[in-house]
Amino acid sequence: MIHFEHVTYTYPDAARPALRDVSLPIPAGAFALVMGASGVGKSTLLRCLNGLVPHFSGGTLTGRVTVEGHDPVTRGPQEMSRLVGFVFQDPEAQFVMDRVEDEIAFALENAAIPTGEMSACVEGALEQLHLIPLRRRKLETLSGGEKQRVAIASALALHPRVLVLDEPTSQLDPQSAAELLDALVRLNKTLGLTVVLAEHRLERILPFVDQVIYLPDDDAPVLSGPPRRVLPHVPLLPPLQTLAQALGWSPLPLTLEEARHFVSTDSTDSTDETDSFNPLKSVQSVDRTPAVVRARGLEVAYGPTLALRGVDMALYRGEIVALLGRNGAGKTTLLKSLVGLLRPQRGEVQLEGHPIATMDVAEVCRRVGYLPQDPNALLFADTVLDELHITLHNHGLTPSTAPIAPETLLAHLGLADKAQQYPRDLSVGERQRVALGAIMVTQPAALLLDEPTRGLDYRAKTQLRDLLRAWRDAALAILLVSHDVELIAETADRVMVMDQGVIVAHGRPAEVLRAWPTFTPQIAQMFPKQSWLTVKEALAGIVGI
Amino acid sequence: MRGRNLFAALIYGLTAAVGLLAFLYPVITAGRTTNTPLLLAFVVGLSFVALLLEVQGDAANTRFVALLGILTAINAVLRFAEVAIPGPGGFSPVFFLIILTGYVYGGRFGFLLGALTLLVSALITGGVGPWLPYQMLTAGWVGLSAPLLRPPIRRLHAEGRRPEIGLLALFGLVWGLLYGALMNLSSWSFIVGPGAPMPTTFREIVRLYTAFYVTTSLLWDLARGFGNVALILAFGAPTLRALRRFHKRFSFTYQPQTA
Amino acid sequence: MLHAAAWLVWLAAALIIASVTRNPLYLTLLLAVLMTTIRTIRRPETPSTAPLAPGRFALYVIPLAAIINALLSRVGETVLCTIPTNWPLIGGPITAEALTYGALNGLLLTTLFAAFTVLNLAVPVHDLIRFVPRAFYPVAVITSIAVTFVPTTLRQIQQIREAQAIRGHRMRRLRDWLPLFMPLLIGGLERALQLAEALAARGFAAETVKARAGGTQTISIAGLLAILGGGLLVAWQEVRWGTVLLGVGGAAIVGTLWLAGRRVPHTTYRRTPWGYREWLVTGGAFVAGAGFLFFGQATRVYNPYPALTWPAFDILTGTALLGLLLPVLVAESE
Repeated sequence: MIHFEHVTYTYPDAARPALRDVSLPIPAGAFALVMGASGVGKSTLLRCLNGLVPHFSGGTLTGRVTVEGHDPVTRGPQEMSRLVGFVFQDPEAQFVMDRVEDEIAFALENAAIPTGEMSACVEGALEQLHLIPLRRRKLETLSGGEKQRVAIASALALHPRVLVLDEPTSQLDPQSAAELLDALVRLNKTLGLTVVLAEHRLERILPFVDQVIYLPDDDAPVLSGPPRRVLPHVPLLPPLQTLAQALGWSPLPLTLEEARHFVSTDSTDSTDETDSFNPLKSVQSVDRTPAVVRARGLEVAYGPTLALRGVDMALYRGEIVALLGRNGAGKTTLLKSLVGLLRPQRGEVQLEGHPIATMDVAEVCRRVGYLPQDPNALLFADTVLDELHITLHNHGLTPSTAPIAPETLLAHLGLADKAQQYPRDLSVGERQRVALGAIMVTQPAALLLDEPTRGLDYRAKTQLRDLLRAWRDAALAILLVSHDVELIAETADRVMVMDQGVIVAHGRPAEVLRAWPTFTPQIAQMFPKQSWLTVKEALAGIVGI
Repeated sequence: MRGRNLFAALIYGLTAAVGLLAFLYPVITAGRTTNTPLLLAFVVGLSFVALLLEVQGDAANTRFVALLGILTAINAVLRFAEVAIPGPGGFSPVFFLIILTGYVYGGRFGFLLGALTLLVSALITGGVGPWLPYQMLTAGWVGLSAPLLRPPIRRLHAEGRRPEIGLLALFGLVWGLLYGALMNLSSWSFIVGPGAPMPTTFREIVRLYTAFYVTTSLLWDLARGFGNVALILAFGAPTLRALRRFHKRFSFTYQPQTA
Repeated sequence: MLHAAAWLVWLAAALIIASVTRNPLYLTLLLAVLMTTIRTIRRPETPSTAPLAPGRFALYVIPLAAIINALLSRVGETVLCTIPTNWPLIGGPITAEALTYGALNGLLLTTLFAAFTVLNLAVPVHDLIRFVPRAFYPVAVITSIAVTFVPTTLRQIQQIREAQAIRGHRMRRLRDWLPLFMPLLIGGLERALQLAEALAARGFAAETVKARAGGTQTISIAGLLAILGGGLLVAWQEVRWGTVLLGVGGAAIVGTLWLAGRRVPHTTYRRTPWGYREWLVTGGAFVAGAGFLFFGQATRVYNPYPALTWPAFDILTGTALLGLLLPVLVAESE
């Protein structure tokens, strides 16, 4: 049983409290979901549960938190570690040892558990997270999803009664994320473990959640209660719930099955255009101008293994092309070879008709922007504006000779008021837009993005979506590598699917996305006979009927 | 608190004296005894243990442990680069961070970063050898002594300005040369060796050491010293800014309010 | 795999033998034993970043040590040539004895290097860290974190290099390293904050070591004074009292370690079994060390000065040394 009683907490040097008068209970054995935009205090709330706030953050805390009758503020994180297991966002930044078993034993060693009991605890934790086959593996050789499972097992080793997770799937691909969330549901049901989870991917877990805790961005009070009662007050929800709310379905459906009850069978008449889908049917290009970027017969190898096995593709001005595929399909390799970071063994890449083989990366990137997965690797200046100036300087330009004034670009990115701030103090979404600024300041003709929605909340995603649409309308050619099918459904003009280094499908979003069950957006799953992909299309269709 | 600081200062002083004794041992004994390496290993090892215990006790803060771990990894990888890319002579990028973190985060932090950087890089490249304790001790002292620059810089009101970087660069030059000289002292008893008839007058010893120093390491040490200067001049200012930005987040302890 | 402690005992024996002899015959025999061991335990998956082979080490070090000693040492009867005495520092006769003595030093260094190469190959880093005394638990954790983060750091560097390249960064001058170094440093600082939380959430608290009484410090200071005094006494030929003082100082320092370690509540998960193979290896090491010290008294010291002589060889001493081969025999019985 967890209680927050009138908890108000302010970070050191902060003007406003991060948590304001929070009072709520979380019953033992509950599966509680903490929702809200980035920066509203979700992490702060979670860290109150094991005393990291205030012991690790400083600041002032008033009110009272109790976890199973203990006060984390007086006990401190070390003692609370027996009661509360904690899993963090970045799987890379929480490991101490090199092997799975030793990592799980770390907490037990700190707690001075006798050696005899220790092996039983380690075995139990390995088994619960299905890690037995990986027990002797080195952590650096594991995938992101496996690493997070190790992190959960490490948190469970001391048999805590509460498991707290701070956006554990934000760095994972959808498949691993789904597996991880399934594991959490299982732990909650079989062990009676209280789970408190902050998470952006709601589709998978909503049916299993007992309690939703919503932290609004304005000064409105924190909402807590059963999902159906709290969700209607949350502004940005998954497509299914957004649609349900727009159509006034009540009670709010949490799963596709529940939602289907609201759809009368007669309104989903088939329009039989999807039956004759040919995955490699050629698509009319939007424009007859020559391609900005074109690849012909591209083959790239890492050592003996071929990562790209003959890729042909073209990217034209004024379109957004989405590239989908499982992890390791070769998507990032393709992006890197398009800008010359990787040189192909065979085939060639052309930039506006000229082969890039003779150009260096800097020359190519002036015309083709590339946003890598981790935008932090770009940022090191003291202010946001400096980041843009550095790129200009690299290309021998000055703010006055730049194709776009840096301030104008920042305003366009919604960062006008952040120009003099330290980039690393900004939120994930803002940092990403600073990185975009540092890339787009040369006004390239094309932009390649690698997993840009990773770690973003709904609001930051919406901002990114609007930005990409605006740039497309301004004739930029955009190639978007993403697992985020909802974003693709909302923005893409064409979709390509890659598997084992070849493009296996290419076509209009409505056709391609429906052909792969894992890539089908919620709305398309809901209305399998329609060509709708997004809430907007569905609403137009239904209201139109 | 005051008493503890006095004790700490005593321990630093004594270990420095023991270290100096060990380094100068071949000169003092002037070839009279054999088996110096074993004795020296014993003496240096113990004073290292005492120093490490003292330093660790006061740097014990979970945030510092995490930070030291990660900075040590970064610095050890930089040392990798030094092995992989044959730079000029004894140039090594590891002293840069040791000096700057010692200066900003305190001597104990610098000591641990210095000693552990050499330990970890030896562990990962398989370069553990009998010289390792000497290297660890000396590199540790580079970091431990860096806060000595704080009073003169404060007196000059030079924080965040050019003279600060200048003084740090000078410090890097001095330690670049001193590091080599000290490492030589530890190895020349091996190279020149016991059993060999050693000169007995002080002048002769100095002549011999100078010859040894000039033939074996002066060029290396100059490269190391001026390498430090170049790195500190080029990267010192932005690195100091970054280290200071994070200092506050790492160094506080939570004091519960007595309400 | 052998228990790490057995390897440490074995290494101690090899180091003791190497450091008490200058007899080239014993040194060569020891080196041969070490090289055989290296050949046996080197696994095919050993990373290529790994050690310079002792053979190549010898190729540099032995000639270098010989030349340096010949230039510096003026003693010996067999003069090979003479450098004009008006050359500063190095002028004087070059003798075959000095050359030999230098080469012997090089051989000794090679032997020590080979002994540590065995350790590096045989014992994984994290197993070595487990031998760090409990009082140094925070240092052990720092080391463990550092070793764990080395691959992450290498990956990070690659990412930063690419990220900077795509914004037009080129390497031309020293300052162009800044865009590579700064994101690495800042990223490390940020990551450290996250890691610190993860450590605390799993019950690690470095602060437990901090609660030190002034008592430990006092003992530490007394121990250091004793070591300083003992060292000086030994230097001035007062070997007996010097040794006593050194012993007292050593005991004091070990005592502080024990005192500080008691305050660290900590147990270990890993228990490698100690079986007959470990007994064989440690027994072999003991026989080798003790036998060498006992039988080798007459022959282990070799001095080429004032004129070169052929070194003596005692068959019992040489046989005892072969006790160090047990890891090879044990490994082949697997």
